[in-house]
Amino acid sequence: MSACPACGAEVAEADQFCEACGQALREPEAVAATSPVAPADAPATAERAVPTDSAATMATVVPPPAGQCTCGGTFDADGWCDRCGQRAPSARDHLVVTLSPQLAGVSDKGRHHPRNEDAFALSLVGARSVLVVCDGVSSATDSDLAAVAAADTARDVMTAAPSAPDAASPATQVEYYSDLWSQAAHAANAEAALIAQHVGGQNPPSCTFAAAVVDGDLVVAAWIGDSRVYWLGDDGTALQLSVDDSWATEQVEHGMPRAVAEADPQAHSITRWMGADAADPTPSCGSLAAPGAGWVLVCSDGLWNYCSGAADLVALVKKYDTLDPTRLAGDLVDWANEHGGHDNITAALARVERTADTEPADTEPADTEPADTRSS
Amino acid sequence: MANWTATVFENEYLADGATDVHAVVTVACAGAGDAGSSGGDAAEIVIIDTSGSMREPRSKITNARKAAAVAIDAIADGTFFAVIAGASTPDVLFPTNGEMARADARSRKAAKDAVMRHEANGGTAIGAWLECADGLFESSGAAKRHAILLTDGKNGEEDRDFEVYMQNVAGRFQCDCRGVGVDWDVKQLRRVASALLGSVDLIADPDHMADDFASMMAASMGRGVASASLRVWSPQGAKVMFVRQVAPAIEDLTAKRTTVSELVGDYPTGAWGNESRDYHVAVRVAPKPVGSEQLAARVQLVVGDEVQASGLVRATWSDDSTLTTRINPAVAHYTGQAELASAIQDGLAAKASGDDATATVKLGRAAQLAAETGNDEATAKLQKVVDIQDAETGTVRLKREVDKLDEMALDTSSTKTTRVKP
Repeated sequence: MSACPACGAEVAEADQFCEACGQALREPEAVAATSPVAPADAPATAERAVPTDSAATMATVVPPPAGQCTCGGTFDADGWCDRCGQRAPSARDHLVVTLSPQLAGVSDKGRHHPRNEDAFALSLVGARSVLVVCDGVSSATDSDLAAVAAADTARDVMTAAPSAPDAASPATQVEYYSDLWSQAAHAANAEAALIAQHVGGQNPPSCTFAAAVVDGDLVVAAWIGDSRVYWLGDDGTALQLSVDDSWATEQVEHGMPRAVAEADPQAHSITRWMGADAADPTPSCGSLAAPGAGWVLVCSDGLWNYCSGAADLVALVKKYDTLDPTRLAGDLVDWANEHGGHDNITAALARVERTADTEPADTEPADTEPADTRSS
Repeated sequence: MANWTATVFENEYLADGATDVHAVVTVACAGAGDAGSSGGDAAEIVIIDTSGSMREPRSKITNARKAAAVAIDAIADGTFFAVIAGASTPDVLFPTNGEMARADARSRKAAKDAVMRHEANGGTAIGAWLECADGLFESSGAAKRHAILLTDGKNGEEDRDFEVYMQNVAGRFQCDCRGVGVDWDVKQLRRVASALLGSVDLIADPDHMADDFASMMAASMGRGVASASLRVWSPQGAKVMFVRQVAPAIEDLTAKRTTVSELVGDYPTGAWGNESRDYHVAVRVAPKPVGSEQLAARVQLVVGDEVQASGLVRATWSDDSTLTTRINPAVAHYTGQAELASAIQDGLAAKASGDDATATVKLGRAAQLAAETGNDEATAKLQKVVDIQDAETGTVRLKREVDKLDEMALDTSSTKTTRVKP
């Protein structure tokens, strides 16, 4: 027997949570994060910003808080009320992370889903920002665990890697970061697959993957599934860098009008994902030399469901007229909730400022063209 | 120390307004050790029917004696044991001091000698035999109590008296029941096996009796966990509709609930070896708005008062019909197997009472379910009682000439289930 670090009550070695106060005693092996755990309902304050010359990461794993249920019962160690069976509220229900005045994310469970199965992870190394969003597939069991594991792992791989050589040509830099994303996605997929061993059941937890690294004016995106990466320029230029791995996209490729495909009940069936039953975790990649100042947005379908076109999104962002990524991410999440909040909503934003030597440049697709260039 | 796991199979998604949550919980035990190894003694009693009918044919009593001897040989040293000869009254053949003896080479030989000397005579009084066994078990103070009961005839006790006996001994020890010949009553032995958490089977060929007894005793000696319960928590306002074991055989535990607290009940599961069993738990909860999620049940395996394994049964209300219309394969499979068991039993009961129309419908449904759920053993046994014309539609014709043994074999095996195909 040992003592709970929070309340001092006696706990057994095998316990995951303190019986007395609900303090998490250890995290499930496959989800264990080396980075610090965010406090419950982390407020979006400037104090949370960290110096840009050091690597900064923020874990999105938060233990269920202890305490009383609204019915008068007590939340059991397994996270459910021992009287009415309600789930203990989780800090993940609404998560705000501000990493710097230029990099932040907000994730919310929305209005119709019982819990937040989206996860996001951010890091900042020097001038390089990393944004990862994973959307747990709700038809599989405990996909939130897979999403958290995948997002954190991919972020950590990108954080640990050195920056692209300064003297490298843009093409070499794109190749360098595309390779890194491939490594990160394979590592993330392995962690997501591990979760299945803890969860069991016939539907192994799985998730999407959408990510971007922003280094100067270079943006390299990577994705599996239907979470998206957008460029939203202050001048109104807008582009979807990712191409959904979804039934709708396949149909459009086969000639079905986009509006018809996206209205189909199957539209959201994804054709690729991460998890124990994933076919191939190699992400598709795309890149962009930012043509000026603007935002890189990585988001789950809980947001883009209500605003699919890049042009519509850039108009929406313009309306909020802010340079604060935390505020803008919060505004976008609130907006999606106002429009129904049918799914979990996650928006991660990196601010790109115009640099002196930035010149308008064409998009530089790696192995796939942006979706908007080929819509019918 | 035994290692337990509990795995939940369910479709947690409920449509708007839906209230019923069904889950199959697979409980597995590993490292159980041998009987009596984890504290507390083990005790075994062999109950042999020695009524007059066991003499006809003579092979019945000689095979029964041989089977008892083989069972006695399989009792591990140090285990408490006794042998009861059952007739109009129970006669404890060994030991003769009114208690139970510790097994060793000498006591086993003395018991076998007593069995070989005993002659069959008198009637059948199963309730009284079980009451006698209960008294012996109680005198031993053993934690793990198991009996084997062999009979060849219908119980001679009044139904009312038999029922009182059964209520008195229910749950006090475990008893595996075997019937030999065609003159015993499947329903009566099933009642005994159900009250005493044991199995019921028929021994078609008296020559096979010894092998069957040896394997029953070996199985019992391999159950290192004397007693375990399934503990079910359900939320306030919810109702546990049923809790039934569904593999390896169907056994409804719903009425065996003992209250632990306002929201928690225990269901007895008897002794455990290294094995896994499936339980179907159904809970009716108050409906919640779409988007709500709640815990519908905690299903735990408890030994003594210690929780060994825990499974969570959830409910999530959704307006996504692709989620809510999915039927969990395990739940579907065992729902079908439970209906199969009752279709067989109802069909055979109708046939026995001369209601051929009902029998044809019920056994037809049974043939359909056996085919659907891949229960080949049930199909094979059904084919000896009915001609299956079309399994898909459940069209059957009752066979004109049916061997009574085949009918009884179908009846006794009706509760045996197949596992879900992966």
